[in-house]
Amino acid sequence: MTATARAGDAVIREGEAIIRVGDVRKRYGDVRAVDGVTFSVSSGQIFGLLGPNGAGKTTTVEMLEGLRQPDSGRLEVLGIDVARHPDALKERIGVALQTAELYPKLTVVEVLDLFRSFYRRSIPTAQLLEFLDLGERRTAQTRHLSGGQRQRLAVALALVNDPEVVFLDEPTTGLDPAARRALWSLVEQLKAQGKTVLLTTHYMEEAEALCDRVAIMDHGRILDMGSVGDLVSRRFQEKAVQFDRIDGLGDERLAAIAAVTSVRHDDGRDLLYSRDVPATIRDLLGISEEMAVEPQNLTIRRATLEDVFLDLTGRALRD
Amino acid sequence: MRALRSLVIAHIRSYVRDRQALFWTIAFPLIFIFLFGSIFSGGTNRTKLGWADEDGSPSSTALREVFSSASLVEIVDGSRADVLEKMRHGDLPGVVVIPKGYGDQVAAAQKGTGPPAQVTVYTDPSQQTQSGSVKGLVGAILAQANLVGRPPAVVADLQDLQTQDLNAVSYLVPSILGMALMQLGIFAAIPLVADRQKLILKRLSATPLRRWQLVGSNIVMRLIIGLVQMILIVGIGAAVFGVKVTGNIAAIGGLAVLGAVAFTSLGYVIASFAATEDAANGMTGAVQFPLMFLSGTFWPIAIMPAPLQAVALVLPLTYLSDAMRQVMVNGAALFPLWLCVAVLVGWTVVCFAIAARFFRWQ
Repeated sequence: MTATARAGDAVIREGEAIIRVGDVRKRYGDVRAVDGVTFSVSSGQIFGLLGPNGAGKTTTVEMLEGLRQPDSGRLEVLGIDVARHPDALKERIGVALQTAELYPKLTVVEVLDLFRSFYRRSIPTAQLLEFLDLGERRTAQTRHLSGGQRQRLAVALALVNDPEVVFLDEPTTGLDPAARRALWSLVEQLKAQGKTVLLTTHYMEEAEALCDRVAIMDHGRILDMGSVGDLVSRRFQEKAVQFDRIDGLGDERLAAIAAVTSVRHDDGRDLLYSRDVPATIRDLLGISEEMAVEPQNLTIRRATLEDVFLDLTGRALRD
Repeated sequence: MRALRSLVIAHIRSYVRDRQALFWTIAFPLIFIFLFGSIFSGGTNRTKLGWADEDGSPSSTALREVFSSASLVEIVDGSRADVLEKMRHGDLPGVVVIPKGYGDQVAAAQKGTGPPAQVTVYTDPSQQTQSGSVKGLVGAILAQANLVGRPPAVVADLQDLQTQDLNAVSYLVPSILGMALMQLGIFAAIPLVADRQKLILKRLSATPLRRWQLVGSNIVMRLIIGLVQMILIVGIGAAVFGVKVTGNIAAIGGLAVLGAVAFTSLGYVIASFAATEDAANGMTGAVQFPLMFLSGTFWPIAIMPAPLQAVALVLPLTYLSDAMRQVMVNGAALFPLWLCVAVLVGWTVVCFAIAARFFRWQ
């Protein structure tokens, strides 16, 4: 107990790294689920692990929560060594798992009160209900909740102990756009309260909308890390010109179009990254006129995380 | 402690809101008690009387006629030894014996040259209702018979007979309590597997809750429900079917607690090997029915074929029900009480050891 208490007393200063992950590895049989991951999260940030299903995001988060043991590497949260003092850690973190099913025959209030009883310190149930907008459903059994309500309850349960660090694993998967936006604003309020949030997602928009920093994961490795702006500008000074694939217009021809730096294909569309969009468009329209076709769904946009992912992995990130 | 208490309350709420669990652990045993209870209580309102005629004279045959024509009486004939044995087993509430020489005595009494003839009537004073109704019936019928000749030619010589063995309902009620505790315990597997499958157990391991608190809360909850079962079943057995509870209620409660723990440990074993809720349902059924039918719940093990008797010897419910009958209604012992308790404790230890080895939290 004394060792636990000492570990728990570690003081974290504003802006200091609150989560440290050092060269962590975990394999299941032949599969390297997490293959040498290193990152740190500063206090008060929203940090996102972005990647497709099976990238190793959930395994990474569950190791940080003390639910899984790493094969090697170091995990530290709030200055606590996760492997050595998981119980001290669990008092101070909040967790929402990917699946948010709970005792189906208990009501919202009953589940909240149950979880509050597990912690030394807890937030009043009424306050949680109000914050998560679950007041109207307080006496509903959890099996009768909608997907969005269930997800909000899962977040509420992650907050009962007023944790300093909150882990949210795919918090908006399966939600409709309105419910997703409602959850985003909740996460932003957590940040406003000074909490540190680590979330996983496979939605680009989610990472762009919420995260101060993003680590892009694939096949158990982190491919790149930084703010969304940095991740994009590091790779793309260009803008993207995008149109439905034109038959008979090959890559060589596309690459020769004025101001084009690279060519990508994404799901039946051609993507030209251009330093000078007007020059590129002029050239493209000239070629298509020559071929007597009209480019369909022609759009010009700035590069996004989607482009970064495509550039890093050669494939699009979609579910 | 706060976490443990909250979890126990949460489990009880989930249980009470689960119709399937309520059915198997409460309604089902009660249905059996009412069903078998009314079958074995005779169904009709007629009182069975054992009838041993050692005289064989026209007078004794005439007296039998009078009795058998009474609408409330059903005569069961046999030798004195026969019918008294049946009564001791609880099959007959009373016995009438016509002694040798009855015919002559009646003849003498009717002429006024001798005292009234005596018939011997056996009842069990410990079975108050039954002995009362037998005495009342016999008295009323004899009074009717005596109207023919005056002064009274026949009187009853009342004898007490201690019936040692159980009647059917007294056998059933403690057995069904054992069965109910068995259902309660092994059904622990289903919510446990469901909670694991829904990752509720995993979610709990992300809180400071300790595993012993989770296991402890499950057991405490089953104990509480087990005591409720005991009160309901013993209460209904005594109030509705007149089962005479001779045992000390604390001893019955202690046995109910031991039974609930023993079968909950078996529930944990099932939960250790069932991957899904459906599998847990199937396995629970597969365990439940042999236990129910081969452990002497509804009929004594002695009447089963030898191979099935051998099976009964390894089933824990055999020992729980046997002990329950001994403690509750002073039933005949198949095994010494200490052996029953030892077997149940042994089962509990072995089952928890298996569960500790194979149970998966995620």
